[in-house]
Amino acid sequence: MLDRTAPGHAQISAQPRRQRVDARAAAGFALRDGRTVLQRLRQQGSAKAMLPRVHRPEPELVFLNTAGGLTGGDRIGFDLDLAPGTHVVATTQTAERAYASLPETGPAAMTVRITAGAGARIDWLPQETILFERAALHRRTEIDLAGDAACLWCESVVLGREAMGETLQTLDFRDTRVIRRDGVPVMAEPLRLTGATLARREAASGLGGARALATIALIAPDAPDLLGRVLPLCATAGVTASASGWDGRLVIRGLAAKPFALRRWMAAVLDELRGRPLPRVWTI
Amino acid sequence: MASPVTDDPQDLLTLVQWLSPSFPLGSFAFSHGLEHAISSGVIRDGAALADWLGDLVSHGSGRCDAVLLARVLAGGDPAAADALARALAAAPERSRESLVQGRAFLATTNAILGTDWPEMVLPVAVGLQARRLSLAPETVIGLYLQGFAANLVLGAVRLIPLGQTEGQKVIARLAPAIAALAAELARDPGDGALWSATPLADLAAMAHEHQEVRLFRS
Repeated sequence: MLDRTAPGHAQISAQPRRQRVDARAAAGFALRDGRTVLQRLRQQGSAKAMLPRVHRPEPELVFLNTAGGLTGGDRIGFDLDLAPGTHVVATTQTAERAYASLPETGPAAMTVRITAGAGARIDWLPQETILFERAALHRRTEIDLAGDAACLWCESVVLGREAMGETLQTLDFRDTRVIRRDGVPVMAEPLRLTGATLARREAASGLGGARALATIALIAPDAPDLLGRVLPLCATAGVTASASGWDGRLVIRGLAAKPFALRRWMAAVLDELRGRPLPRVWTI
Repeated sequence: MASPVTDDPQDLLTLVQWLSPSFPLGSFAFSHGLEHAISSGVIRDGAALADWLGDLVSHGSGRCDAVLLARVLAGGDPAAADALARALAAAPERSRESLVQGRAFLATTNAILGTDWPEMVLPVAVGLQARRLSLAPETVIGLYLQGFAANLVLGAVRLIPLGQTEGQKVIARLAPAIAALAAELARDPGDGALWSATPLADLAAMAHEHQEVRLFRS
């Protein structure tokens, strides 16, 4: 479907320059008669948001980029606003692909902004980001919670296309993740991976040879209480993982040589934390 | 803040006193996840230790702490930097490590200087008190990072174990990376400088709390 063949660096250079993406999809949810309902939806350019029919009280929102991926100079934004007391599960239709960028175009820029009112709960569960050789992507995810709002969030990154045996050499990836409660940062993770990181991909403090890495976080007053539930899953074979709970957050991090092993592990952790199936697009 | 051309000699003595191992911060109790990396066999010698610490300084928690110190030193809001430092902590033990030492640093420096600062994490506390010193920002940032690395070497010398000379060689090897980062952050400690690329070091800091046998508090 959206999984079209990606242009490699050589192909981009040989073809006429494709039109830059400048896209944004924004959705707002409100509470009506005790149920969360879509209140507004705006879509611009190749950014879309869909609401598949689900047999659960909380709506599921699926963002997608119909351009199929991002390359240098592209701009894309996903915005989500949850009124107090609402519960929304949001994800992406497919893996986000960051293709080769030419030096003169600058990086692709992606922003995800989520706001959740008091008593709201957002499950922001995007699928993995696949970084191609020469990818340049600067992404910023900002989640603002008010009062006792809760957030379950995950982010996973895959270095290169495993099926093609691609080993990345050149990369400019910045992925800044910030979650605030009432304006005060409660979790910040400013990940940056570059050619310098890849030159030492076996570094014991860095990637340790891993091709895929993920962070999962539950931000809620009682989040640390769930540590005992996820800790056993951190002993999964093929994944190096650990979990900690403190100050209203539960954080689980994992790395794996095989992207599929990491994805399966993430699904197990998220199932444990959610007690309900993942969005259907996550099917593994 | 205008950077002084030369460091004031007396102020330099003050800073060295604050960052010396004899200043009562309780730093010796913390390994920043190093104990886990050593007990799991990831770090077995001086070369691996130097790599690990160099990574923390250049593109890990050392960089992030130094960014916050540099911002506060340059007049940035200490409360905002303190909140960001706690949000950046990869693990609860790292958060406590920074807070316990910051609290101790302020207890003593408040008493010496007659200030009345509330508790803050260590890099923010150092940046705040060092504002009164007529020193180049790179001097303050560099000495802070060297103190951070030297404390971890002290712990590693006992844990691996390593000879004292080998430990000092590791500290010496880190000087170029420390000086480079200090110069970079003295120029611009903005959002572009705040990043990390050490997922496995972060994981070690998290895994430490689940270790059965622990000598260190982080």
